[in-house]
This record gives sequence, structure tokens and C-alpha cells, in this order.
Amino acid sequence: MILAVLALSLGAALSVLAQAIPYQRPVDTAPQANSIGGGYKVPAVQKPLPRDYWLQVLDVVALAAAMGVSVWLVLKRRSRKWLMALTIGSLAYFGFYREGCICPIGSLQNVVVALADPKYSIPMVVTATFVLPLVVALYFGRAFCGGVCALGAIQELVVLKPVQVPRRLDRALGLLKYVYLGLAILFAVKPALTRDFLICRFDPFVGFFRRNGAPHMLLLGGGFLVLGMFVGRPYCRYLCPYGGLLAWCTRLARRGVTITPNKELDCGLCSEACPYGAIEKMRAVRRNCLYCARCYASCPRERGVAS
Amino acid sequence: MKRTLIAGSLVVLCVAILLADYAVANRQPFANRPAAEQKKVTAARLARKSRDNAVAWVLIAAAGAFLTFAKGQIKQPKPRAAGELRQAKAPGPHRSRTAAAAPELDLSFVEEMVSKIGRGKEAAIPLLQAIQNYYRYLPDDALRRLCELTDITPAEIAGTSSFYGRFRRSPMGEHIVRVCHGTACHVSGARQITEELRRFLAIPDGEDTDAARMFTLDEVACLGCCSLAPVLMVDGHTAGKLTPATACDALKVTA
Repeated sequence: MILAVLALSLGAALSVLAQAIPYQRPVDTAPQANSIGGGYKVPAVQKPLPRDYWLQVLDVVALAAAMGVSVWLVLKRRSRKWLMALTIGSLAYFGFYREGCICPIGSLQNVVVALADPKYSIPMVVTATFVLPLVVALYFGRAFCGGVCALGAIQELVVLKPVQVPRRLDRALGLLKYVYLGLAILFAVKPALTRDFLICRFDPFVGFFRRNGAPHMLLLGGGFLVLGMFVGRPYCRYLCPYGGLLAWCTRLARRGVTITPNKELDCGLCSEACPYGAIEKMRAVRRNCLYCARCYASCPRERGVAS
Repeated sequence: MKRTLIAGSLVVLCVAILLADYAVANRQPFANRPAAEQKKVTAARLARKSRDNAVAWVLIAAAGAFLTFAKGQIKQPKPRAAGELRQAKAPGPHRSRTAAAAPELDLSFVEEMVSKIGRGKEAAIPLLQAIQNYYRYLPDDALRRLCELTDITPAEIAGTSSFYGRFRRSPMGEHIVRVCHGTACHVSGARQITEELRRFLAIPDGEDTDAARMFTLDEVACLGCCSLAPVLMVDGHTAGKLTPATACDALKVTA
């Protein structure tokens, strides 16, 4: 475990250093002043400066740190209150400040394209953003979903009076995310000019982060949020393609949310409190558990442990 | 309630403003206009953009406020703290007695009973019953005094008082909670009810009374109201159709 973390961090550090070498990429795909003609001058805003490299690395570090804190708060501290603070912090930083980009969900497409198209290369920052949550999921479950993901955070905060979705309907709808994942990959591996990043284009919440966007997407996002008041995190559970990947990774997870690990449990308050239907037979199912720590908050056994 | 409504209507208002703004703005096609008018339209669009951005922030803040207030409105099952119940209670009629019993026991009652019932071995059970009725358990000091006053040996007292299940040697709580473990209650989850009550009152394993001696938990065979299973009785009050979540509320009848 420690070895794996060491090797990972060493590899990450080396590749990050390699990326620090500045490079120039000519912007020739957009129409230029001479091709437009008529004395047209390219306005200054046409080439927005890329974000400083160290700031990009900082984003990855922030992502890793937030996931570490999420794991610690949920598995060790077992505190929902502090996890909510982390959720709000992540929503503010990854959502409203970074405007929902770069996110591991969207980076999935970049990675797919980079694998399929030899001419398309992605910076290490994107690869790291894609890989880190998956690695965490391999060890601890979907820690990224709880308290880190901005899309999850905005839905987490609107949960008001969740209903329990019938188990079979929940399962059936849960398959949708794999369909969506397949479609997203299919559209991403198309040749350069016809490819489309479905996940980013139909991201329902990014419009709120940017306070700007196509009206139909904003309405769709609003619809998801209103629905999310009564059905816990509908996008995460039924549509998020990255959630599908994370769910696969959690099959190997050694640790995860455990409700009252060494005591008898039989009251079932936790499964009533779980808005995501992730508690089956009084055990948190790692595949579906979104690390929200509601089960701890509702558990009479956790008194004294959690604050 | 009022705050929730205000925040909610603010959210609706903001959405309405944004939608109206969108609808109005799209009625003005940009092309085929004189340059002066195009400039005007551009200015209007820029103004709209900054206005909508401000409205969007208000909307987000209002939505946050609405959710916060609405969450306060909706009662969610929360872990109950046993302390709340205890603190809310006024001292009951028995409290003075149990509290006084702890430091020094008034043993004149034992002497009185011995003179009334008798000193022979045959009086053991009536004497123990009288003592338990008075003190609500069999205090060690009272039993010692009983041995001194009568012909009954300590071994016989110990044997008799531990043989019969209804004699108790540890102090009783102010209220007795009888949880039915009859057939109907058993199949409807009496065990879970008992477990939940033990958790709620923080009664350690192997004991039946909580630390503050407010409640003693008793598992009884049948309370005779199987149609209400699972059932418990707190002193004289019966509560039926319990779930682990509601069982603890049933204790509040004593408060």
C-alpha cells in the first residue's frame, strides 16, 4: 500500500516535471486575420492565455488532497458535518471558481481520444485528473463522489426529502450510465472533425458554475436539481459515466464505508437515511456508496464517535 | 416556514426574471439594422449579461437559503440523545427515596416488618416481598439486618432471593420499562426494540438499569395485547406497534 503510494507519487512527480517544459502550439485552426481579409484585426481576446502551469498542478494537488480528506473524514473521523464543509469547499473551488473544468468525468473523453488518436496528446494534468479518483476508488471506494466532485456536491446539497427508489427500478436506471459511457466513448473516438465530447456538452450543472450556457441545458440542470431534492443525486446514480468506471474499481477496494464495524446492527435507521439506496442488508454496498456519511449521522451507535 | 417561503419565492422570482430576460432579448434579431441601432442592441446585450449574472448569484444564494431553511422544516430521523430526556424530567415521587437509599438506608422498616410477619424460616419469602415492595429492590444492608433479626441464615436469604426471578438485588430505576417478548412481539422485532432501548439509554451489557437510574428495562413474557405487537409498557402506559425508531419516543410519557 505504502509502496504503491510512493511509486505513484514518484511517477506523478517525474511526469509533472517533464510537463513543465514550455511548449508552443500554433493556433492555425481558427480563421486568421489574413484569411478573413478586409483589414480585419484579430482581437486580443481570441487567444486566452492558458492557466499557469503551476496552477494546473495545484488543481491536481487540490483534487488529491480533497480526496484524501474525504477518505479520512468518512473512514476515520466518521463525521458528516465536516464532510459537508468539504463538499461546500469543493463546490466553491472545483465548481464556481474553476467553473467545472477540468473534471475527471470529462477527462475520460480526453483520455479515450488520446488512446485512439495518435495525433492527439493530452497534458499530464488531464491524465492525473482522470487516474487519481480511479486509484482512490481501487483502495477506498468512491471517495471522489463524496465531497470532491463538484457535480456531486451541488446535488448533495439540494437533497431535501429523498424517497427510496424501488430497488429494481434503481438497478435498471443504474445501467443507463454504462450506456452513456459507451456513447461518450463512441463519439469521442470518431475522427478528428466529427468527434464530439458528449459528457461535456450535456453536463447539466456546468451552466450554473459558469452562470452562462444554453437555455435548454440550464433548464435541464434545473430540472435535475429539482428532481434531486426528492431523488438523491439522480445524475450521479443513473447517468454519470465516470461513476460507472468508479463502480468497477470499487470491486477491488479493500476498505470502504462500514456502518458500525464491530457492533451488532439491526435497527435499519442507516438504510432509511441513505438517499442513494446504497445500503443492502445493513451493509454499505461499495459500488453504490457515494461517501456522504449520512449513515453515520443517523446511527445511534456512532454517538461519541462522530461529532 | 416564513423564511422558507420568502427564499423559495425569491428563487422563483429570479428564475422568472432570467426567463423573461431571455425571451425578451431573443425578440431582437441582430442583423439588417443600421449601425447606430446595432450598437444600441450590443449595449443592451452587454447590460443584460451583467444583469443576468447578478440575478444568477442572487438565485444561487436564494436557493442555498431555501434549501437550508427547508431542511430545518423537514424532520429527519436523528440519533436521539438520552440526556435530553433525562434533563427534561422533574424529580418523580420515587426519586427522593432511591436517592436517599444510596448513602444510608433507613432500616427501621425491616425491624417493623419482622415484628409484624415473624422471625421463623417460613417468613423468609413474605419478608423479602415486603422489603422489595418498600425499597423496590433487596438492599444488601436490609438483608444483613434481616439475618441479624431473624432465624434465617444468610445462605438461605441468598438462595431464596437469587432463586426467584422477581426478586432483584440491584437498585431499580425510577421507571420500569417492560418490553414484551411474547410470540407475537418476538416475531415483530421485540429483540430489536430492546436493543435500541439499551443503546438509547446506554445500558451496559449484563445490566438492566441506566446510569442515572431513571429506567429499568425488563423483558416480560406477554402484555396481553398481541394485536399491537411489538409492545412495551412504561410504568402504567402501554405503547404498541413500535419500531426501533419510535420505541425511544415511548419513554417520553414519563417526562
